[in-house]
Amino acid sequence: MSALQEQFVTEARDLIRQATDDLIALERAGTSPERLDGVFRAFHTLKGSAGVVELPAMSMMLHAAEDLLVGVRGGTLRANAEIFDAALACLDQVSHWVDDFEAGGSLPAQAGADGRAMAERLRSFLPAVEARPPAPAGQNVAVGGGDDELSEWATRLLAADRDRIMSRLPEQPSMLTVVSYEPIAGCFYNGDDPLQLMRQIPELLDIEVQPREAFLPLAEIDPYACNLRLRAISAGDRDMIADIFRLVPDQVNIFAMPPGVLVTAPAGAESANQTLIRKVIEAQCELLRVANRGDDFTGCTGAAARVATNALRHGRHLQLAETVARAGALAVAQHDAGPVLATLERVLAELAVERSPGIAPQVGDRSGDMIVDVADRPTERVLRVSETKIEALVNLAGELLVAKNALTHTARRVEQEFGGSDAVRSVQHDRDTLDRLLTELHGTILQLRMVPMTQLFQSFPRLMRDIARQLGKNVALVTRGETTEADKAIVDRLFEPMVHLVRNALDHGVENPVQRRAAGKPEAATITIAAFRVADRLMVEVADDGRGIDPEVIRRKASERRILPAEDLAALPDDRVVDLVFAAGFSTASAVSDISGRGIGMDVVRAAIEQIGGRVSLETRVGVGTTVRLDLPMAIAMSRIMVVETGGQLFGIAMDAVSEALRVTPDRIRRIKNNLGFVLRDRVVPIVSLAERMNLPGGARDATSARLLVVLEAAGRIAALEIDAIRDRLDVVLKPMHGLLAGARGYAGTTLLGNGEVLLVLDMREILP
Amino acid sequence: MTVGHDPTGTVLLDGVCAVEDAEPLLQMLQANPAATVDWTGCRKLHTAVFQVLLAAGITPVGPCGDPWVAQWLGPKPRQGELG
Repeated sequence: MSALQEQFVTEARDLIRQATDDLIALERAGTSPERLDGVFRAFHTLKGSAGVVELPAMSMMLHAAEDLLVGVRGGTLRANAEIFDAALACLDQVSHWVDDFEAGGSLPAQAGADGRAMAERLRSFLPAVEARPPAPAGQNVAVGGGDDELSEWATRLLAADRDRIMSRLPEQPSMLTVVSYEPIAGCFYNGDDPLQLMRQIPELLDIEVQPREAFLPLAEIDPYACNLRLRAISAGDRDMIADIFRLVPDQVNIFAMPPGVLVTAPAGAESANQTLIRKVIEAQCELLRVANRGDDFTGCTGAAARVATNALRHGRHLQLAETVARAGALAVAQHDAGPVLATLERVLAELAVERSPGIAPQVGDRSGDMIVDVADRPTERVLRVSETKIEALVNLAGELLVAKNALTHTARRVEQEFGGSDAVRSVQHDRDTLDRLLTELHGTILQLRMVPMTQLFQSFPRLMRDIARQLGKNVALVTRGETTEADKAIVDRLFEPMVHLVRNALDHGVENPVQRRAAGKPEAATITIAAFRVADRLMVEVADDGRGIDPEVIRRKASERRILPAEDLAALPDDRVVDLVFAAGFSTASAVSDISGRGIGMDVVRAAIEQIGGRVSLETRVGVGTTVRLDLPMAIAMSRIMVVETGGQLFGIAMDAVSEALRVTPDRIRRIKNNLGFVLRDRVVPIVSLAERMNLPGGARDATSARLLVVLEAAGRIAALEIDAIRDRLDVVLKPMHGLLAGARGYAGTTLLGNGEVLLVLDMREILP
Repeated sequence: MTVGHDPTGTVLLDGVCAVEDAEPLLQMLQANPAATVDWTGCRKLHTAVFQVLLAAGITPVGPCGDPWVAQWLGPKPRQGELG
């Protein structure tokens, strides 16, 4: 796939998302011109890009969608749910095709037929007779005076290029059309070719292409940022020209101007040409004054008259030219330059009179370049870097960190051997500097992977709309904290769990409109998705204002599904009972529905969240609503581990799982059924010997000495791991198990220690009973 | 490739000069701002390419091979010559 095609895929996905968001917002909040423009521009850009990568089926379908949107924007069509459905379905089709294109470099064989079917569906909303919609209502249309500055420009251009223009005109036009087109800077990326639009202007009379702002030095120019203002004058029909520019109405100013300016052009304007004519005549006057004083210089007089006549003809001062020509002939006949000089002086005076009213608008307020009807959009520039490159950088930084740990190790050995010398202090100092810089480097690189939650949240409006329609529920989505940033790896992995949560909220949490009315709630339910930071944790909440979870219902279901023995259930406090929805095989829906409730919802959510180092909790009040909170790490690249020793071997334990480490005297340890355990703050905690689990020699332990225990909590279970010693605490980049070890159970991954040893990091969920 | 060099170092615009030709052209002109540009072989000129010529203040050699450009924007890109 070429770079262009890759860029198309990335951009198309962005545009699809943006258009989807805007469409849903439009449907919910009613028509807003800005949103509609946004949708329109997204469709237009998509169409252009599809053309660039040569996907005609996509272009054709999007063209139909564009026409539909033009109708909506122009007010000839009223947007209804069916139109929104069709537009969204069109985007779905584009999305599928983009996936196909990315996978195979082409569209599926039936793309043409599918595209035509979709185009027909889209066009079915358009009035049957209307082949093409009229000029969009938003277009800047002015007849007559139009934009003062622009009409002045047009007058100037007409006056200056009058001969050229007149020669092209078969007859006096009834109306002229003036176009000023300022393409947006990013127009090339949209597939626009502004000159291509100008080429289509019929009966073109003149054109001018200028930089909108002074060009930067060549070395700093961005060749793909359009900085042009294109202006044209045409004798063609204004509506026809407006139709050419119908897809860029926000960038163009088109107005009709009476052609009178062509006839009386010189009267209205001072141009370079006029100045030249005046200068030519003045020069002839100078010449004749010299000639008149001295010799009879007939040849000179005749030549001066001819030059002045030609100059005046050139400037369309036909009457004046005639006068000068007659005076010239008379002067030559009389051998006297006087009549010609007098005539020329009179002509100069007349030209000066004509000139003065023309000057007025010029000396008026003309500060800099004008901007015609172009919204002031600062162009946001984003550098796209492939994820694999960032990954490589993160890995390198991780390796550097390991190398630094090795240096720490060496520094310690050097200190032990040669303690106290200057060289040792110098090594330590350098290590500290390296340490600081590396920490900074690592932090900066991780920042590269930080993405706003927007990426995640923006999928939900569409999802909610479809599910809510399917369920016949009226739900508004509120999102908060979209700008909260988190590691891309985290954000990417949140999508599936969040979809489960939102589906659950819609299906089980939110009541139907009748129930809501009966409960005295507004008919439209609200689902809130929020993201925020608490210290170095990322919190994501999905909250609904629905019926809440009734602990009694949960108890009944749990006992039906034998999640817990009946007596345990009865003893469990209400707030713990609701946590049972996270138990495997639990589904609160009485009937398994299409939306959720296959009994795989919440336990899958918990598993997915714990896998990335997060925790799930749930708060609910009957009749008020339910909030599910995901407590997540900001990044998963770095793990803080505790290095423990048992049976002469080192193991890593994720610090996330460790709640405390303590020594317990043998008298506190009890045998409970087959296991050892001890009571910690009124809770019985089972003891697991790591040596036994790992089949390592337990070591001679004398019965009276205290045992070292690390209390671990993971996957909702608690246990104390018995170990021989705690060695270290490290920040490491955890690498998953590769190759032969990939299938090994019980390990979360490996990392390199400072001395080059490989440390196995334990997967607590596998280790705990 | 529609932007190239001939043996004498003249920058040649040839055939359909599309949007992606703007960047190589700019690079050539950055390398040699006084380069001669010959656009007689250009059949169609994209705005982005034209903009580079305009920004570089280049007067290409000969009439543009793109007849529309030759008629309306030639013999050289006009930069406010009327002002």
